[in-house]
Amino acid sequence: MDKQNWEPKIAAFVCNWCTYTGADLAGTSRLKYPANCKLIRVMCSGSIDPVFILKAFERGADGVLVSGCHPNDCHYNAGNFHARRRWDFFHELMDFIGIEKGRLQFSWISASEGKKFADVITKVTEDIKAMGPFTAYKKMNSEFTIDFPEEPFEILKPVFQENSDKETV
Amino acid sequence: MDEKIISRDDLLKICQDVIEKGNTLLTPGAADYSVVKDVSKIDLDASALPSKISYKSYVFPRTEPVLYYKRSKNDVQLIDVNIDSKKIVILGAKPCDANSLNIMKHLFNWDYSDDFFNMRAKNFIVIGLMCSQFDEYCFCTSVGSSPVSEKGSDIFLIPLDANTYALKIITDKGKEFISPYNGHLKSGDENRSKRITENVKLPETAFDSSEVYEWLGENFESPKWEGVGNLCLSCAQCAFVCPVCHCFDIMDEDYSYTEGRRMKNWDGCQFGNFTLHASGHNPRDIQSKRYRQRVNHKFRYYVNKFGEILCTGCGRCSRGCPVSIDIKEIVSNCKNDQKELK
Amino acid sequence: MNELIKHARELLESGEVAAVIGYRQVSAKRTKPVIITDPEETSALVFNEYCLNNLAVYLTKARIKLLCKKNDKVLKLAITAKPCDVHSIVALIQENQIDRDTIHIISFNCHGVAKDFGFDFNGDNLASKCITCETHKPLYYDKLFGEVMETPQASDTAIARIKEIESMPHNERFEFFKGEFDKCIKCYACRAVCPLCYCQRCITDKTIPCWIETSSHQRGNFAWNVIRAFHLSGRCTGCGECDRACPADIPLSLINRKMSMEAKNLFSFVSGRSLETPTLVGSYNEKDNDELFM
Repeated sequence: MDKQNWEPKIAAFVCNWCTYTGADLAGTSRLKYPANCKLIRVMCSGSIDPVFILKAFERGADGVLVSGCHPNDCHYNAGNFHARRRWDFFHELMDFIGIEKGRLQFSWISASEGKKFADVITKVTEDIKAMGPFTAYKKMNSEFTIDFPEEPFEILKPVFQENSDKETV
Repeated sequence: MDEKIISRDDLLKICQDVIEKGNTLLTPGAADYSVVKDVSKIDLDASALPSKISYKSYVFPRTEPVLYYKRSKNDVQLIDVNIDSKKIVILGAKPCDANSLNIMKHLFNWDYSDDFFNMRAKNFIVIGLMCSQFDEYCFCTSVGSSPVSEKGSDIFLIPLDANTYALKIITDKGKEFISPYNGHLKSGDENRSKRITENVKLPETAFDSSEVYEWLGENFESPKWEGVGNLCLSCAQCAFVCPVCHCFDIMDEDYSYTEGRRMKNWDGCQFGNFTLHASGHNPRDIQSKRYRQRVNHKFRYYVNKFGEILCTGCGRCSRGCPVSIDIKEIVSNCKNDQKELK
Repeated sequence: MNELIKHARELLESGEVAAVIGYRQVSAKRTKPVIITDPEETSALVFNEYCLNNLAVYLTKARIKLLCKKNDKVLKLAITAKPCDVHSIVALIQENQIDRDTIHIISFNCHGVAKDFGFDFNGDNLASKCITCETHKPLYYDKLFGEVMETPQASDTAIARIKEIESMPHNERFEFFKGEFDKCIKCYACRAVCPLCYCQRCITDKTIPCWIETSSHQRGNFAWNVIRAFHLSGRCTGCGECDRACPADIPLSLINRKMSMEAKNLFSFVSGRSLETPTLVGSYNEKDNDELFM
């Protein structure tokens, strides 16, 4: 695929109470933003386990966005405070083992920030587009140290389907 | 027995040819048996200790797919795996390692013939190398092997001096392998290699395996197992580095909702959930029972079933144990009433 | 050494403790953990430069806790711990895994240990954790033995390696770690020896749904090692047992050390140093750095 037509696949883990509602507002306000982000709604940014993010990369995501309520706005009072410490570590860890910081982005978006939601999605998509496809991680799906038979079908196909990116939210 | 002499340079030429033909050549290092790309880097050292990890993974990989599946609405399509049949030559296998496939093959051909194992084992050429070094953990002599044992090797090398090796052809497979290279071989003198093998220092015999066999049969419920059970951390690295441990686990890995593969992965009997039933019941619920299983499997159950001890005496499990549990010590102390097993 | 044996004997004979977890000598340069319940056996106890094991790992084991239950009474457990092992014990107490009142800590003034069994104890063979060690005297103890001696000088190669990795571009770093993790055979020895890996059921043992694949191919190995490192971030006390236990020689403590450095940089927190402070990832501060978030 040439780089011009390549569209990144981004998994966005968003909290139910702020960012997801913010996305709703962006939609009802008819704001335009790229359709590369697949929103995955979770109850709180504090409930996002780092294995979700690794799984997203394993399943072919080129980038991941994690978004929740602003500090002090958490529906569960302290969920995002706990998350913040955890993400600080995880971000540094990912960076240390060689996953560029831009591949994994974080934001706070409240329910009233439809405009910010559109802006963040646009920025994340542009950032990851500039970085190109995350082939290093995808390559791991089929590489084995020991001689390994050829895979009969392409891994990951149905999870993020090609061409389904064209619809707008 | 046929004994020849080969110089180191000629041996390396054979290795070069093996690689050029697209086959895999493995030699032992400090960490594991690794694939050789450049023959000039081969260092055949008879006085090295066994590598940390054995070459078991090349015949029984730590993970491999056994089938692929594809689900449709009312049907499941199964796709077989094409087993790779590349020839693998192991140069300089330790005598303790060389015997490992012979021991394991009983299990893989017992009630079901495992094509994955057999196919790979068939394409294995083991060139054993006499071993002149042992440490406090080696006990090959206690389990019926020795540093000069030719058991399991297709071809056996004995270093005569720095640049020449006595080469013994043990099996037909070995004969077939070496026949294209007969030009490199000179006829040898059996007495010369005999003088060397006879002078090799042997590790002391630590226990009599038949006595251990009997003790295990009578002392299944012995309170002695508790001591070692308290110490062991259930990490199972002993099973993973063992050249003959062969337990595996079957796992389904999905690519998507409809496609996936079934994997065969190494497993170890020291893990707490190795015997955990779906009901929640665990017959080996405490570590002492698990350790007892390990020793019994190696020195009693396998002997009952296949007439061989499931142990090559390489000492890897004891050398690597994070809490220094030494299987040789455990097994030799079991008959001793005074000593607790720990 | 006689003092240690005498003390252990007194503890067991008085019925104050149910068991003493300690070290015994097996050969000149190797020791081995031992769990002693009989006062007669205390004579085997030793403490020297080859006491490498972090015995705190035994404290959370159910079978060891069972040893302490005698006639409806819960007795104390005595443990011989190097000053660095005391950090692990403190971390376990912070995380409510054990109770300070049930542990009798016998510690020593420590001047370092060898990097592995069988090596001479000198600057070249000093364990990497000892090179930068600042706690030669334990922070918490019930009984202290040993005299303060000088630690041999050695250069800190671990930190140099971390710097070297940090200077690589991301794709090289990724390839480096991929190669290292590729050696993993999934024996989980790193998990078993870690005093802070005390989960009754590890996330990698949960297979429905399967978040971390149990297969030891690149993807499964990568996920396991990253998640393991993450779960120890801000908690690892740097005892280095994972490094020593790994049969595939993966530099696990390198990542752990890097994460400990981050904990210090970001939150000025060092794990296992104080019983008064809460754990790092179990607590939060409203004034934490917010730069990461858009």
